[in-house]
Amino acid sequence: MDIPILKIENFLVVTIQTEMSDDEILKLQKDILSRIKEVRASGLVIDITALDVVDSFMGRTLSNIANTANLLGAKTVVVGIRPAVALTLVELGIRIKWNLNTALNLEKGIDMLKKCIEIRG
Amino acid sequence: MSMNLNKELSLLFEGHANQLKEQWISEMKKLGFLEQVSDDEIEKQFTNLCDIVVSTLKTGKYDDAEKYARDIAQKAVLQHMTVDQVIGGMLKLQDVYQCFIFEKFKDDKRLCDLVSACATVINKIVSINALAFVEESEQEILQQQKEAMLALSIPVLQIRDEMLIVPLIGIIDSARSQQIVEELLNKIAEYQASIIIIDLTGVPIIDSLVANHIIKTVQAAKMLGAETIITGISPPNAQTLVNIGVDISTLITKNNLRTGLKLADEMLQK
Repeated sequence: MDIPILKIENFLVVTIQTEMSDDEILKLQKDILSRIKEVRASGLVIDITALDVVDSFMGRTLSNIANTANLLGAKTVVVGIRPAVALTLVELGIRIKWNLNTALNLEKGIDMLKKCIEIRG
Repeated sequence: MSMNLNKELSLLFEGHANQLKEQWISEMKKLGFLEQVSDDEIEKQFTNLCDIVVSTLKTGKYDDAEKYARDIAQKAVLQHMTVDQVIGGMLKLQDVYQCFIFEKFKDDKRLCDLVSACATVINKIVSINALAFVEESEQEILQQQKEAMLALSIPVLQIRDEMLIVPLIGIIDSARSQQIVEELLNKIAEYQASIIIIDLTGVPIIDSLVANHIIKTVQAAKMLGAETIITGISPPNAQTLVNIGVDISTLITKNNLRTGLKLADEMLQK
Protein backbone atom coordinates (compact mmCIF):
# COMPACT_ATOMS: atom_id res chain seq x y z
CA MET A 1 0.00 0.00 0.00
CA ASP A 2 1.32 3.43 -0.91
CA ILE A 3 1.59 5.90 1.88
CA PRO A 4 0.05 9.26 0.93
CA ILE A 5 2.40 12.22 0.83
CA LEU A 6 0.34 15.35 1.38
CA LYS A 7 1.29 18.89 0.49
CA ILE A 8 0.34 21.79 2.75
CA GLU A 9 1.58 25.20 1.66
CA ASN A 10 5.25 24.64 1.08
CA PHE A 11 5.53 21.53 3.20
CA LEU A 12 5.06 17.84 2.70
CA VAL A 13 3.32 15.80 5.39
CA VAL A 14 3.71 12.03 5.63
CA THR A 15 1.71 10.11 8.21
CA ILE A 16 2.81 6.54 8.79
CA GLN A 17 -0.25 4.63 9.99
CA THR A 18 0.88 1.02 10.12
CA GLU A 19 3.93 -1.05 10.85
CA MET A 20 6.09 -1.22 7.75
CA SER A 21 8.43 -3.80 6.35
CA ASP A 22 11.96 -2.81 5.41
CA ASP A 23 11.09 -2.81 1.71
CA GLU A 24 8.10 -0.56 2.25
CA ILE A 25 10.21 1.87 4.21
CA LEU A 26 12.77 2.06 1.42
CA LYS A 27 10.03 2.60 -1.12
CA LEU A 28 8.59 5.39 1.03
CA GLN A 29 12.03 6.98 1.15
CA LYS A 30 12.22 7.01 -2.62
CA ASP A 31 8.68 8.37 -2.99
CA ILE A 32 9.28 11.17 -0.51
CA LEU A 33 12.52 12.28 -2.11
CA SER A 34 11.12 12.36 -5.65
CA ARG A 35 8.05 14.22 -4.36
CA ILE A 36 10.22 16.84 -2.67
CA LYS A 37 11.99 17.46 -5.94
CA GLU A 38 8.71 17.53 -7.84
CA VAL A 39 6.97 20.16 -5.69
CA ARG A 40 10.12 21.92 -4.50
CA ALA A 41 9.04 21.58 -0.90
CA SER A 42 10.91 23.56 1.70
CA GLY A 43 9.88 21.38 4.63
CA LEU A 44 8.95 17.78 5.45
CA VAL A 45 7.02 16.47 8.43
CA ILE A 46 6.97 12.75 9.17
CA ASP A 47 4.29 11.80 11.67
CA ILE A 48 4.82 8.49 13.49
CA THR A 49 2.17 8.89 16.20
CA ALA A 50 0.60 5.58 15.22
CA LEU A 51 3.77 3.54 15.56
CA ASP A 52 4.22 1.43 18.69
CA VAL A 53 7.53 0.05 17.58
CA VAL A 54 10.40 1.71 15.79
CA ASP A 55 13.33 -0.59 15.13
CA SER A 56 16.88 0.42 14.34
CA PHE A 57 16.40 0.06 10.59
CA MET A 58 13.34 2.28 10.62
CA GLY A 59 15.23 4.78 12.74
CA ARG A 60 18.23 4.84 10.48
CA THR A 61 16.07 5.23 7.40
CA LEU A 62 14.16 8.11 8.96
CA SER A 63 17.46 9.77 9.67
CA ASN A 64 18.61 9.11 6.10
CA ILE A 65 15.42 10.62 4.72
CA ALA A 66 15.94 13.68 6.91
CA ASN A 67 19.53 14.16 5.81
CA THR A 68 18.82 13.65 2.13
CA ALA A 69 15.79 15.94 2.27
CA ASN A 70 17.99 18.55 3.88
CA LEU A 71 20.36 18.31 0.95
CA LEU A 72 17.41 18.78 -1.38
CA GLY A 73 16.49 21.91 0.56
CA ALA A 74 13.64 20.57 2.66
CA LYS A 75 14.05 20.74 6.42
CA THR A 76 12.70 17.62 8.14
CA VAL A 77 10.91 17.18 11.47
CA VAL A 78 9.77 13.84 12.91
CA VAL A 79 6.70 14.28 15.11
CA GLY A 80 4.67 12.16 17.49
CA ILE A 81 7.27 9.79 18.82
CA ARG A 82 5.67 7.90 21.69
CA PRO A 83 7.24 7.87 25.17
CA ALA A 84 7.91 4.14 25.04
CA VAL A 85 9.44 4.41 21.60
CA ALA A 86 11.66 7.30 22.65
CA LEU A 87 12.79 5.36 25.69
CA THR A 88 13.67 2.28 23.68
CA LEU A 89 15.57 4.29 21.11
CA VAL A 90 17.51 6.10 23.81
CA GLU A 91 18.27 2.79 25.54
CA LEU A 92 19.60 1.53 22.23
CA GLY A 93 21.83 4.59 22.12
CA ILE A 94 20.48 5.64 18.78
CA ARG A 95 19.59 9.25 19.44
CA ILE A 96 23.13 10.59 19.18
CA LYS A 97 23.82 8.98 15.84
CA TRP A 98 20.56 10.10 14.30
CA ASN A 99 20.62 13.82 14.72
CA LEU A 100 16.90 14.20 13.99
CA ASN A 101 14.68 17.19 14.60
CA THR A 102 11.68 16.16 16.63
CA ALA A 103 8.46 17.78 17.79
CA LEU A 104 5.57 16.71 19.98
CA ASN A 105 2.84 16.86 17.37
CA LEU A 106 2.07 17.86 13.82
CA GLU A 107 1.15 21.42 14.74
CA LYS A 108 4.37 22.04 16.60
CA GLY A 109 6.34 20.36 13.85
CA ILE A 110 4.96 22.75 11.26
CA ASP A 111 5.58 25.71 13.60
CA MET A 112 9.15 24.58 13.93
CA LEU A 113 9.59 24.35 10.17
CA LYS A 114 8.12 27.82 9.69
CA LYS A 115 10.51 29.30 12.23
CA CYS A 116 13.48 27.60 10.64
CA ILE A 117 12.56 28.82 7.20
CA GLU A 118 12.00 32.36 8.53
CA ILE A 119 15.49 32.37 9.95
CA ARG A 120 16.98 30.94 6.82
CA GLY A 121 15.14 33.58 4.82
CA MET B 1 20.25 -43.74 71.74
CA SER B 2 18.19 -40.73 70.75
CA MET B 3 19.02 -41.41 67.10
CA ASN B 4 17.49 -44.82 67.50
CA LEU B 5 14.42 -43.39 69.14
CA ASN B 6 13.98 -40.91 66.30
CA LYS B 7 14.37 -43.66 63.77
CA GLU B 8 11.81 -45.79 65.52
CA LEU B 9 9.37 -42.88 65.68
CA SER B 10 9.79 -42.11 61.99
CA LEU B 11 9.06 -45.70 61.02
CA LEU B 12 6.08 -45.76 63.32
CA PHE B 13 4.59 -42.56 61.91
CA GLU B 14 5.16 -43.69 58.37
CA GLY B 15 3.54 -47.03 59.03
CA HIS B 16 0.40 -45.51 60.53
CA ALA B 17 0.15 -42.49 58.29
CA ASN B 18 -3.46 -43.11 57.27
CA GLN B 19 -4.78 -43.65 60.75
CA LEU B 20 -2.95 -40.56 61.97
CA LYS B 21 -4.26 -38.52 59.10
CA GLU B 22 -7.90 -39.39 59.82
CA GLN B 23 -7.40 -38.44 63.42
CA TRP B 24 -5.69 -35.16 62.57
CA ILE B 25 -8.34 -34.12 60.09
CA SER B 26 -11.20 -34.88 62.44
CA GLU B 27 -9.49 -32.96 65.24
CA MET B 28 -8.84 -30.03 62.92
CA LYS B 29 -12.45 -30.01 61.75
CA LYS B 30 -13.61 -30.00 65.35
CA LEU B 31 -11.57 -26.86 65.89
CA GLY B 32 -13.13 -25.31 62.75
CA PHE B 33 -9.73 -24.67 61.25
CA LEU B 34 -10.40 -26.22 57.87
CA GLU B 35 -13.63 -24.54 56.87
CA GLN B 36 -12.35 -22.71 53.82
CA VAL B 37 -9.85 -25.33 52.73
CA SER B 38 -10.66 -28.03 50.17
CA ASP B 39 -10.29 -31.73 50.94
CA ASP B 40 -7.50 -32.17 48.41
CA GLU B 41 -5.61 -29.32 49.97
CA ILE B 42 -6.04 -30.79 53.45
CA GLU B 43 -4.75 -34.14 52.29
CA LYS B 44 -1.76 -32.48 50.63
CA GLN B 45 -0.97 -30.36 53.65
CA PHE B 46 -1.05 -33.33 55.96
CA THR B 47 1.12 -35.46 53.68
CA ASN B 48 3.58 -32.62 53.38
CA LEU B 49 3.73 -32.06 57.10
CA CYS B 50 4.06 -35.74 57.79
CA ASP B 51 6.87 -36.12 55.29
CA ILE B 52 8.71 -33.27 56.88
CA VAL B 53 8.37 -34.63 60.41
CA VAL B 54 9.45 -38.08 59.27
CA SER B 55 12.41 -36.84 57.23
CA THR B 56 13.53 -34.60 60.04
CA LEU B 57 13.33 -37.49 62.47
CA LYS B 58 15.37 -39.60 60.10
CA THR B 59 18.08 -37.15 59.16
CA GLY B 60 18.09 -34.80 62.13
CA LYS B 61 18.26 -31.87 59.69
CA TYR B 62 15.69 -29.11 59.32
CA ASP B 63 16.26 -28.19 55.65
CA ASP B 64 12.90 -29.55 54.51
CA ALA B 65 11.14 -27.80 57.35
CA GLU B 66 12.69 -24.48 56.42
CA LYS B 67 11.77 -24.82 52.78
CA TYR B 68 8.23 -25.79 53.70
CA ALA B 69 8.01 -22.88 56.09
CA ARG B 70 8.95 -20.42 53.36
CA ASP B 71 6.43 -21.91 50.95
CA ILE B 72 3.59 -21.98 53.38
CA ALA B 73 4.31 -18.50 54.64
CA GLN B 74 4.03 -17.09 51.13
CA LYS B 75 1.03 -19.16 50.30
CA ALA B 76 -0.71 -18.29 53.52
CA VAL B 77 -0.20 -14.64 52.79
CA LEU B 78 -1.74 -15.17 49.38
CA GLN B 79 -4.70 -17.24 50.50
CA HIS B 80 -5.33 -15.23 53.64
CA MET B 81 -4.87 -18.29 55.79
CA THR B 82 -4.08 -17.03 59.25
CA VAL B 83 -1.03 -17.79 61.30
CA ASP B 84 -3.06 -19.66 63.90
CA GLN B 85 -4.51 -21.92 61.20
CA VAL B 86 -1.07 -23.07 60.15
CA ILE B 87 0.63 -23.15 63.53
CA GLY B 88 -2.51 -24.57 65.12
CA GLY B 89 -2.47 -27.37 62.57
CA MET B 90 1.07 -28.23 63.46
CA LEU B 91 0.43 -28.21 67.18
CA LYS B 92 -2.60 -30.42 66.63
CA LEU B 93 -0.41 -32.81 64.68
CA GLN B 94 1.90 -32.94 67.65
CA ASP B 95 -1.06 -33.77 69.89
CA VAL B 96 -2.10 -36.56 67.57
CA TYR B 97 1.40 -38.01 67.45
CA GLN B 98 1.80 -37.86 71.20
CA CYS B 99 -1.54 -39.50 71.90
CA PHE B 100 -0.50 -42.20 69.49
CA ILE B 101 2.81 -42.70 71.28
CA PHE B 102 1.12 -42.86 74.67
CA GLU B 103 -1.23 -45.52 73.44
CA LYS B 104 1.45 -47.60 71.76
CA PHE B 105 4.03 -47.47 74.53
CA LYS B 106 1.75 -47.36 77.59
CA ASP B 107 3.78 -49.95 79.47
CA ASP B 108 7.13 -49.27 77.87
CA LYS B 109 9.79 -47.64 80.00
CA ARG B 110 11.00 -45.60 77.03
CA LEU B 111 7.70 -43.72 76.88
CA CYS B 112 9.13 -40.51 78.34
CA ASP B 113 12.11 -40.45 75.98
CA LEU B 114 9.94 -41.09 72.94
CA VAL B 115 7.51 -38.32 73.81
CA SER B 116 10.29 -35.85 74.42
CA ALA B 117 12.10 -36.81 71.19
CA CYS B 118 8.90 -36.23 69.22
CA ALA B 119 8.20 -32.94 71.00
CA THR B 120 11.70 -31.62 70.36
CA VAL B 121 11.46 -32.13 66.63
CA ILE B 122 7.94 -30.80 66.19
CA ASN B 123 8.54 -27.79 68.43
CA LYS B 124 11.53 -26.87 66.38
CA ILE B 125 9.51 -27.17 63.15
CA VAL B 126 6.75 -24.99 64.60
CA SER B 127 9.23 -22.34 65.63
CA ILE B 128 10.81 -22.34 62.18
CA ASN B 129 7.39 -21.77 60.68
CA ALA B 130 6.46 -19.02 63.08
CA LEU B 131 9.68 -17.24 62.22
CA ALA B 132 8.98 -17.58 58.51
CA PHE B 133 5.58 -15.97 59.03
CA VAL B 134 7.05 -13.02 60.85
CA GLU B 135 9.71 -12.51 58.19
CA GLU B 136 7.20 -12.79 55.40
CA SER B 137 4.86 -10.22 56.86
CA GLU B 138 7.73 -7.86 57.55
CA GLN B 139 8.83 -8.18 53.94
CA GLU B 140 5.34 -7.52 52.74
CA ILE B 141 5.09 -4.34 54.77
CA LEU B 142 8.51 -3.22 53.56
CA GLN B 143 7.49 -3.84 49.97
CA GLN B 144 4.28 -1.85 50.40
CA GLN B 145 6.15 1.05 51.93
CA LYS B 146 8.67 0.98 49.13
CA GLU B 147 5.93 1.10 46.51
CA ALA B 148 4.15 3.90 48.32
CA MET B 149 7.37 5.87 48.46
CA LEU B 150 8.04 5.33 44.77
CA ALA B 151 4.55 6.47 43.87
CA LEU B 152 4.90 9.63 45.93
CA SER B 153 8.41 10.37 44.92
CA ILE B 154 8.01 11.74 41.41
CA PRO B 155 5.87 14.86 41.34
CA VAL B 156 5.53 16.17 37.80
CA LEU B 157 3.91 19.58 37.99
CA GLN B 158 2.46 21.62 35.17
CA ILE B 159 3.39 25.23 35.74
CA ARG B 160 2.56 26.84 32.37
CA ASP B 161 0.60 25.61 29.39
CA GLU B 162 3.58 23.86 27.92
CA MET B 163 5.96 23.70 30.82
CA LEU B 164 6.51 20.98 33.41
CA ILE B 165 8.57 21.11 36.57
CA VAL B 166 10.01 17.98 38.19
CA PRO B 167 11.46 18.74 41.61
CA LEU B 168 13.41 15.63 42.58
CA ILE B 169 14.02 15.06 46.26
CA GLY B 170 16.03 12.37 48.00
CA ILE B 171 18.41 9.70 46.88
CA ILE B 172 17.83 8.37 43.38
CA ASP B 173 18.55 4.70 42.78
CA SER B 174 18.22 2.87 39.51
CA ALA B 175 14.64 1.68 40.09
CA ARG B 176 13.55 5.19 40.90
CA SER B 177 15.40 6.77 38.02
CA GLN B 178 13.78 4.32 35.62
CA GLN B 179 10.41 5.36 36.98
CA ILE B 180 11.28 9.03 36.68
CA VAL B 181 12.04 8.59 32.99
CA GLU B 182 8.81 6.77 32.29
CA GLU B 183 6.63 9.07 34.37
CA LEU B 184 8.13 12.17 32.86
CA LEU B 185 7.84 10.99 29.26
CA ASN B 186 4.22 10.01 29.75
CA LYS B 187 3.44 13.38 31.30
CA ILE B 188 5.15 15.17 28.41
CA ALA B 189 2.92 13.33 25.97
CA GLU B 190 -0.15 13.89 28.15
CA TYR B 191 0.31 17.64 28.64
CA GLN B 192 2.01 18.21 25.26
CA ALA B 193 4.71 20.08 27.09
CA SER B 194 7.59 21.61 25.20
CA ILE B 195 9.82 22.60 28.11
CA ILE B 196 10.76 20.55 31.16
CA ILE B 197 12.65 21.79 34.18
CA ILE B 198 14.27 19.09 36.31
CA ASP B 199 15.26 20.55 39.66
CA LEU B 200 17.96 18.61 41.49
CA THR B 201 18.26 20.87 44.56
CA GLY B 202 16.92 18.11 46.79
CA VAL B 203 19.16 15.36 45.45
CA PRO B 204 22.07 14.88 47.86
CA ILE B 205 24.21 12.57 45.77
CA ILE B 206 24.55 12.19 42.03
CA ASP B 207 26.66 9.28 40.81
CA SER B 208 27.44 8.19 37.28
CA LEU B 209 24.34 5.99 37.17
CA VAL B 210 22.00 8.85 38.07
CA ALA B 211 23.81 11.19 35.71
CA ASN B 212 23.46 8.67 32.94
CA HIS B 213 19.77 8.37 33.59
CA ILE B 214 19.30 12.12 33.58
CA ILE B 215 21.04 12.33 30.23
CA LYS B 216 18.87 9.54 28.89
CA THR B 217 15.77 11.33 30.13
CA VAL B 218 16.84 14.53 28.42
CA GLN B 219 17.48 12.69 25.17
CA ALA B 220 14.18 10.84 25.27
CA ALA B 221 12.34 14.09 26.04
CA LYS B 222 14.13 15.72 23.15
CA MET B 223 12.93 12.92 20.91
CA LEU B 224 9.37 13.64 21.90
CA GLY B 225 10.05 17.27 21.06
CA ALA B 226 10.59 18.79 24.49
CA GLU B 227 13.63 20.71 25.71
CA THR B 228 14.93 20.02 29.20
CA ILE B 229 16.57 22.43 31.61
CA ILE B 230 18.43 21.04 34.61
CA THR B 231 18.61 23.27 37.68
CA GLY B 232 20.04 23.19 41.16
CA ILE B 233 23.03 20.89 40.81
CA SER B 234 25.00 21.46 44.01
CA PRO B 235 28.73 22.34 43.84
CA PRO B 236 29.90 18.96 45.19
CA ASN B 237 27.66 17.18 42.71
CA ALA B 238 28.93 19.31 39.87
CA GLN B 239 32.44 18.40 40.90
CA THR B 240 31.61 14.70 40.97
CA LEU B 241 30.04 14.88 37.54
CA VAL B 242 33.09 16.57 36.07
CA ASN B 243 35.44 14.17 37.84
CA ILE B 244 33.71 11.06 36.57
CA GLY B 245 33.74 12.53 33.10
CA VAL B 246 30.03 12.66 32.35
CA ASP B 247 29.45 14.45 29.08
CA ILE B 248 27.11 17.28 29.99
CA SER B 249 27.57 19.26 26.81
CA THR B 250 24.11 18.19 25.68
CA LEU B 251 22.45 19.49 28.83
CA ILE B 252 21.09 22.96 29.44
CA THR B 253 21.87 23.77 33.07
CA LYS B 254 21.02 26.69 35.35
CA ASN B 255 22.13 27.28 38.89
CA ASN B 256 18.71 27.51 40.49
CA LEU B 257 15.04 27.04 39.77
CA ARG B 258 14.43 30.79 39.49
CA THR B 259 16.89 31.32 36.65
CA GLY B 260 15.75 28.06 35.10
CA LEU B 261 12.18 29.33 35.01
CA LYS B 262 13.29 32.62 33.52
CA LEU B 263 15.13 30.83 30.74
CA ALA B 264 12.16 28.53 30.15
CA ASP B 265 9.83 31.51 29.80
CA GLU B 266 12.16 33.07 27.28
CA MET B 267 12.33 29.83 25.33
CA LEU B 268 8.53 29.56 25.33
CA GLN B 269 8.14 33.07 23.94
CA LYS B 270 10.44 32.37 21.04
